[in-house]
Amino acid sequence: MDMTSPQAAGAAQTDIAVEITGLDKWYGSFHVLKDIGLSVRAGEQVVICGPSGSGKSTLIRCINQLEQHERGRIMVNSREVGPKVRDMHEIRRDVGMVFQHFNLFPHLTVLRNCTLALTRARGMARREAEAVARHYLERVRIPEKADKYPSQLSGGQQQRVAIARALCMNPKVMLFDEPTSALDPEMIKEVLEVMTRLAEDGMTMLCVTHEMGFARKVADRIVFMDGGCIVEEAPPATFFDAPKTDRARLFLSQIL
Amino acid sequence: MTFDFSFALSIVPTILAAMGMTIAVAIVSCFGAALLGFLLEILRRTGKPMGYLMRFVIDFIRSTPVLVQIYFLYFVLPFYGVTMPALVVGVLALSVYYSGYLAEVFKAGIDSIPSGQFEAAKALGLTRIDAIVFVVAPQMLRNVAAPMGNYFVSLLKATPYLAVIAVPEMLGAAMEVASDTFRYAEPMVIVGILFLILAVTIAQFVRLLEQRLLASAKR
Amino acid sequence: MSFLAILAGIFEGFGVTATITFYGMLYAVPFALVFGILQHFTAGPARVVVTSIIEFWRSSPVIILLFVFYYSLPSFGITLSGITVGAMALGLNIGGYGSQSVRAALQALDPGQVEAGRALGLRRLQILALIELPQAFKAMTPTFINQFIQLIKGTALVSLITLTDMTFRAKEISQLQYNPVGTYTALLVAYFLVCYPATIFGRWVEKRVSIEGRGQRDL
Ligand SMILES: Nc1ncnc2c1ncn2[C@@H]1O[C@H](COP(=O)(O)OP(=O)(O)OP(=O)(O)O)[C@@H](O)[C@H]1O
Ligand SMILES: [Mg+2]
Repeated sequence: MDMTSPQAAGAAQTDIAVEITGLDKWYGSFHVLKDIGLSVRAGEQVVICGPSGSGKSTLIRCINQLEQHERGRIMVNSREVGPKVRDMHEIRRDVGMVFQHFNLFPHLTVLRNCTLALTRARGMARREAEAVARHYLERVRIPEKADKYPSQLSGGQQQRVAIARALCMNPKVMLFDEPTSALDPEMIKEVLEVMTRLAEDGMTMLCVTHEMGFARKVADRIVFMDGGCIVEEAPPATFFDAPKTDRARLFLSQIL
Repeated sequence: MTFDFSFALSIVPTILAAMGMTIAVAIVSCFGAALLGFLLEILRRTGKPMGYLMRFVIDFIRSTPVLVQIYFLYFVLPFYGVTMPALVVGVLALSVYYSGYLAEVFKAGIDSIPSGQFEAAKALGLTRIDAIVFVVAPQMLRNVAAPMGNYFVSLLKATPYLAVIAVPEMLGAAMEVASDTFRYAEPMVIVGILFLILAVTIAQFVRLLEQRLLASAKR
Repeated sequence: MSFLAILAGIFEGFGVTATITFYGMLYAVPFALVFGILQHFTAGPARVVVTSIIEFWRSSPVIILLFVFYYSLPSFGITLSGITVGAMALGLNIGGYGSQSVRAALQALDPGQVEAGRALGLRRLQILALIELPQAFKAMTPTFINQFIQLIKGTALVSLITLTDMTFRAKEISQLQYNPVGTYTALLVAYFLVCYPATIFGRWVEKRVSIEGRGQRDL
């Protein structure tokens, strides 16, 4: 099943989707991100893991500037992002984000959740936008919920709607921040399945997750963070079977 | 002069006739106050200098009497060549006064929206304005229904202030009867009774509406 | 006349404003406490009577209350001074609001508190005085301060029954010399100077009350 768009395939030729160099960030006097360097090719799937408080969320939230960095450079789809960029909202339209707590708009139907940004930000006609939305709702396997409100859906269904909502914008990069950690075990599977198919279709993905089975199967690369630094970066097989650092070994022993 | 009951009864229709004006003034001012209050609160959130300025404006509005604000607009605007009918000045003054209170109501209403909603709107690439109109405002309105209802009732009870600039609402009508007949006791008692009935009725009605709204919001 | 001279002229009326506020509080506080507590305790017909009295003072517009008492009482053979009428109408109106915050604060208390008092063998009034009221006071203070500010602002109304408060002084000054902009700006500033410190104090108290609450939960 092809979930990527022609644009995403086109971006694959320009090669680098996200390029982070020398990134530093502080919360007040607390140094959360320390000299981060990370480069993600188009079509690549990167899983970010690490102990709680290591700065994973902060890092991926810097990519679409939900958090602002103080030092360093972040390029997304060959455009620099930062606090001074005036048309951030335009850049964000090409970067989908899926949150731990879904963050669906409770006052809008599932369908309207998906079409809001298409009609308002992309200026698409309502009918056309609804067709796009139904297409992606089909892809996440809940077309029948289009006219329901988020509160009428289970957690897993809500998260799949959130994924569909992001996909509707036809993003070149998808960011996931622990998309399954607020879900009951039986719902985790349905969300991971959707994400796996997305990966198979070649979507560029940065995913913070503790689902190591998913990471091993889907990721091209694991990025391990601790204390605001990237401590280790390796393909899944290497990372899981022969971690180089003690900190990674300790983390894996606790989580597996 | 003793209280003349038959005269008192005879002026009931005159004062009742002004009830429509009272209600209309309250409704229009409430919309004005909500619009202005929302604008003040949104501007208050835009950043340092503007935020402080709006904070001050809101505090200033809340720290001065509505009567004085009415006088201010009524006497000062013409001095600058802005002449408006007393009714318009009155509605404007009530809108300004209550905007200060509604701004605070909206602040609480916005603060109780989960921050994830703002983040999701941003992440989708909505502009500021679109996020306010399509994501923040509708959710805020649900949170503020109850306090807004209370302020509407309060605003209704502030409409008789406009009698001081001769707006023909209920108290204004009563004052006119009084100055025509040189009898003050009866018109004041009648307007007092009628207004009390009106205020209590509207308060009940608002409460009912609130409950309906909350019931329908529980999806 | 310079702006400062106008302001000084207006503050000549501060004595009356302060007096009405002070006497108003003498009506408001006892009324709020007594009727708030009565509403909390009573049931059935007694409660209907208590609620009706509260609603009368609370639901009538304060300007109408003032006029009714000022213009109508004499024709029933009751003559009161302007100060008394002003303080009573304004005070009992605010007291009506206050009674609602007293009742709400009492009702918000954990019923376990009363049971604990009973278990200790205290009588009902002792429980009220020793256990319920001290806790309720904390929750009530911020609302009381807000209502105090409403009272100060409300006193501007006594200018309409010819008492020479700050607003009345402003009207006199603006008649003496045609400077509505200066005069009414000064009047707004005058009330702001009086009310704003109370606003700030209220906010400080509110923060303290909520911080104390937070600390207790953290234990
Ligand atoms: N707004 C903030 N202000 C101050 N400190 C913050 C803020 N947000 C996060 N932090 C701190 O920054 C550090 C990194 O937070 P972050 O949320 O990025 O961690 P994380 O790796 O995603 O952890 P988790 O696995 O628990 O989600 C934490 O120590 C956190 O307490
Ligand atoms: Mg996190």
